[in-house]
Amino acid sequence: MIGGILVRATVLGCVIGILGFGEDNNLVDGVTFPRDAAVVAEKLEELEAGKLIEELEELIERLRGKGYTTFVFERPKIAQAVQEKLEVEVRIESITEAGEVLRGNMGKLAVELGFLEDEAELAGWIHEVSMELTRRRVRRATEKRDLVVVQTIQMIDDSEKTLNLFMNRVREWYGLHFPELNRLVEKHETYARLVSKLGRRENFTPENLMKEGIPEERASRMAEAAVRSVGAELQDVDIEKIRMLCGEILKLYRVKSTLEEYLRELMDEVAPNISALAGATLGARLIALAGGLDNLAKMPASTVQVLGAEKALFRSLKTGSRPPKHGVIFQHSLIHGSKRWLRGKIARLLAGKLAIAARTDSFSGKFIGDRLREDLERRVREIREKYPKPKPKPAVRARRRLARRRK
Amino acid sequence: MEVEVRSHPEFPGIYEVTLEDGSTRLATRNLAPGRVVYGEKLITYEGVEYRLWDPYRSKLAAAILKGLEVVPIKPGCRVLYLGAASGTTASHVSDIIGEGGHVYCVEFAPRAIRELLNNVCRFRLNMSPILADARLPSGYSTLVGKVDVIYCDIAQPEQAKILADNARLYLKRDGWIMLAIKARSIDVTKEPKELYEREIKTLKKNNFEVKEVIRLEPYEKDHVMVTAEYKG
Repeated sequence: MIGGILVRATVLGCVIGILGFGEDNNLVDGVTFPRDAAVVAEKLEELEAGKLIEELEELIERLRGKGYTTFVFERPKIAQAVQEKLEVEVRIESITEAGEVLRGNMGKLAVELGFLEDEAELAGWIHEVSMELTRRRVRRATEKRDLVVVQTIQMIDDSEKTLNLFMNRVREWYGLHFPELNRLVEKHETYARLVSKLGRRENFTPENLMKEGIPEERASRMAEAAVRSVGAELQDVDIEKIRMLCGEILKLYRVKSTLEEYLRELMDEVAPNISALAGATLGARLIALAGGLDNLAKMPASTVQVLGAEKALFRSLKTGSRPPKHGVIFQHSLIHGSKRWLRGKIARLLAGKLAIAARTDSFSGKFIGDRLREDLERRVREIREKYPKPKPKPAVRARRRLARRRK
Repeated sequence: MEVEVRSHPEFPGIYEVTLEDGSTRLATRNLAPGRVVYGEKLITYEGVEYRLWDPYRSKLAAAILKGLEVVPIKPGCRVLYLGAASGTTASHVSDIIGEGGHVYCVEFAPRAIRELLNNVCRFRLNMSPILADARLPSGYSTLVGKVDVIYCDIAQPEQAKILADNARLYLKRDGWIMLAIKARSIDVTKEPKELYEREIKTLKKNNFEVKEVIRLEPYEKDHVMVTAEYKG
């Protein structure tokens, strides 16, 4: 359709290079890759990540020279990159006719472009590139990723601590001006947001507060408190500093939630089974306490059960007091959400499943998390049915006798 | 009794071995002589090395022993293998198709594919490992061309749909699929039979002509192997 309104070319990447197909889905032009698997693997990875590689740029330029104005891609990311950087019209079609031609005739096209001497070489070439590509991805996926998990969860905990520290300061500081707000807003993040957005207490009007997402009733209560406040009149420069601090605190909240999201993804990759059982945060804490996934995988379930309760455990070993029922796994909703007398039993059960999950994550990588989770929930139901009431406490005397025996 | 190896009467590339104790096993000709993939036994007969094929480890072997009538994976075939894991079955596929064929092994778990990469694909030039999510078939379009067979063994609730998506991109018209359906990974609360039927219906809706449905008991519980031809 040269001379017409629309001249479209389909641009596709593959192991031999970047290929352009015309309206009739015949190859019009192509820029081939160098014959080096490591280089090609890197280029393909960049392409997938939505980076513009030189071959792609060159092909688009050449096709433009031939009068093509619209470019069709099968991969949205590549289309987007081309559109942004080269400012040409792009379209995305998930399966193109040209793609069918390419997938059906990759060998022939490789010979046509002078990339291969013989079609039969294609399989060997694909083997080489796929080996290289997979090796890179595996390296990235498994290289000490569990230690990254450890750092991430510790950073999340650190930011939590820092936020608490800062917020206590802010509450006290801003409290000079508007002390009543402290009791009215419990959530730190909301408090920081209100101070950062509204500043002086005079701005705490029902309209402004509702704009910030505070429900009507609470907004009017807060506004009333602002009017009647017993706080000091601070100067604008004083308030400005507090607002600035609140702005920084809000940024730190955003950092924290980004990290939490990142941790979830990371855990799905590093320890999908533990994640499925205990959630990303708790799973990551266990890995951190054990000092890595490998170490966790080598621990017996009884150790997993009390990870994080070392102090109580060693006190018990030393003095014969009652041993702890749970360490950090207490944070699991199945434990802290259960009746007190069931927690020990459930902790034992959960620790057992977690030990299996850790070993699977560390040594095989298979996903059995859904099965473990089902087992766990079924057993918890059984336990809850079997022990609806706490065991009657032994008499005080008997308890003393027990304690003595433990020594 | 002497060990004896014969070609399988129906399926090229597959062998039957009679062992010393008189029992008969499946086997494939080892494309990477001397190399063992998952602890299987190696047997040398008339100067050629064969690997015994364990039906308890490989669903394809189980299906053949359970009387599969057509095995679309033949010497020279190109195969897209979804869910290759560490390569137990995939290595036998590589043996069957031989040097003239090619098997693309798609696997999502980095741990599993690391084994595949280092222990299997390195020694088999007709295998290409691909670390990617089978649910997003366009993710490996730079590597994979049209294939003759798609073999699918992924523990995913929507396996038939995932398979159909892959077929649309990569399977030749009149190509074959083999789908191992595991009832437990779809929905444990439902009857296996219901689930098989649901997946098979999805296949039919996507232009597959179902040829055989084979139960894999006693080798695997609640599993079936489905073979179908693509009329896409």
